[in-house]
Amino acid sequence: MVYTSPMPLLLEAKGLTKRYGATIALDDVNFQVVEGITGLLGPNGAGKSTAIKLFLGLLEPTAGSAEVMGQRPYESVESRAHLGYMPEHDCLPASITAAEFLTHMAQVSGIPPAYARTRAADILRHVGLDEERYRSIGEYSTGMKQRVKLAQALVHDPDLVLLDEPTAGLDPGGREEMLGLIRRTGREFGISILLSSHLMGDVEGICDRIIVLDGGRVTEAGAVSLFTQETQTLCIEVDDHLEELVTALAKRGIRATVEGFSAVVERESEEQYDAIRDAIVEADARLRRLAPRRHRLTEIFRRTST
Amino acid sequence: MIEAQGEVFDLGYKHYDGPREGRMRARKAIWINGVRTALGIGRGWGSKVLPGLLFVAVMLPALVISLVASQVGLLAQGLPGHAGYYQMVSTLLIIFSAIIAPELLCPDRRDGVISLYLVRPLTTTDYLVGRWSAFLSVTLALVYLGQTVLFIGFVLAADEPGNYILDNWLNVPRFLLAGLVVAIFTTTIPLAVSSFTNRRAYAAAFVIGLFIISVPITGVLTICENSHGTQQGGLGSESGQCKPLTGKAAKWFALLNVGGVPIHVNDMIFPEENTSEFANLVDELPDVVPVAWYLLLTAGPGFVLWWRYRRIRI
Repeated sequence: MVYTSPMPLLLEAKGLTKRYGATIALDDVNFQVVEGITGLLGPNGAGKSTAIKLFLGLLEPTAGSAEVMGQRPYESVESRAHLGYMPEHDCLPASITAAEFLTHMAQVSGIPPAYARTRAADILRHVGLDEERYRSIGEYSTGMKQRVKLAQALVHDPDLVLLDEPTAGLDPGGREEMLGLIRRTGREFGISILLSSHLMGDVEGICDRIIVLDGGRVTEAGAVSLFTQETQTLCIEVDDHLEELVTALAKRGIRATVEGFSAVVERESEEQYDAIRDAIVEADARLRRLAPRRHRLTEIFRRTST
Repeated sequence: MIEAQGEVFDLGYKHYDGPREGRMRARKAIWINGVRTALGIGRGWGSKVLPGLLFVAVMLPALVISLVASQVGLLAQGLPGHAGYYQMVSTLLIIFSAIIAPELLCPDRRDGVISLYLVRPLTTTDYLVGRWSAFLSVTLALVYLGQTVLFIGFVLAADEPGNYILDNWLNVPRFLLAGLVVAIFTTTIPLAVSSFTNRRAYAAAFVIGLFIISVPITGVLTICENSHGTQQGGLGSESGQCKPLTGKAAKWFALLNVGGVPIHVNDMIFPEENTSEFANLVDELPDVVPVAWYLLLTAGPGFVLWWRYRRIRI
């Protein structure tokens, strides 16, 4: 499956294959990542981290290519100056302050020392660590360390950041804060993001597009809105007289099933709405909501697992 | 009407539009960070103790020799010169390197920082060269500083300083070259050992153990039999009286003293004679042998270091 877009390309996988001995991590994968926030979804072992490492130039493809803005990072290290990376694993030194660490990482990204200090201070303020920047990183909480990890990925103002499981190890409050920060990075800072996650909730709330990997292959790709479109199922939620409503619908030839406080029917024609209105009146039910049901991203995982 | 005195600043995110110096800046940053790490700059007081002690330990012999020279004269018997100074401080340098050099590599791997370096405009080789040259720079600065103090001390102690400089100016390029020989050796081996473990203590213990254990091993293999038929250690035996039990092979075994490897090369650089028993044995070998042995013991660990990092998986 090839997912293409008319927007400028940031990443492109062309026939991308990576094998570790007899194990195939990625198998002839083709996809593109454009501006905005893209989710790279898949269960553990789907090939997400391998794909990210190929785009960062940390691994050499067995076949095909992983291109970043038209360049291959494995061959051209200079192209990495426009990428940011937040790994899933620990990657912070404990003995130095966040301000010193970020200044150093900005310089390693090619920024001169005087500018690097300013950038470090700015980014630490943006991730909410302005007051804590002169404390040793070893004294930080897990949530604060995740913010430093994000900050080092942004300190050189990349065009694209690759975030590998950014909410791993966070409690629900910390997870929400991190997702809010990622959303701000993508929407307000204008930095494109490739977000790898196995958590649908992370992706559903903030991504514009998704690419789903499973078993080293792309199983789904496209705009999030495509996967959350309206279905042919109508949901009639009422406060009372649910059984009477089902009976009234049946009298009009509409078969309904009960789910919680709702009667669920399969939509067949526009005229059906008139019959449903009449049935609600006949049952004397108080209507709370009448709307087509939408797909949810979790269904993608159900589809791929079956 | 009240005049507005405040000013509104936009603290929103600003994109960076300053200069980007690419790979060269990245290399410099790795080098500077390595120097700061080795000297404990930007870290707690505990990290500054050892570099501070070493500085004192390296400077002290130079100051003492200079003071003695000023009192008893430059031609006093047994007064160490520039070559002797290296023989005195090389053990200190080895201990310093064994403890500090792993600090430049082990924490980066243990904490995972290496994964952040290698996704930036920097290759594995850039990273290693940056770290290696940073530690070499610190070691060189220390030994050159001591030698400079010693040279100035000798000049001031001389009856005619101008003539001393004219007669002995060649000592300057000699101690510069000899310092490089010692520093490259004491930098490369500890860094190569550090590539095998994430624990600094293990790397330091291995390097110190290697240097210490090689002395008695070499001593046993070059042990002498004196005229009374009793045995005495090769180390410290008086020149000319030694008849090694291992016969002609003893001069080869003398090379096994790891700490002496750069000193044997330095003995060729300086005109002064090294009278230690190991040095006397090595003198019996063609000059190319200790030089080749030195090159093997620096290039070999250097290659191992590079090879280990080529295989690194993040």
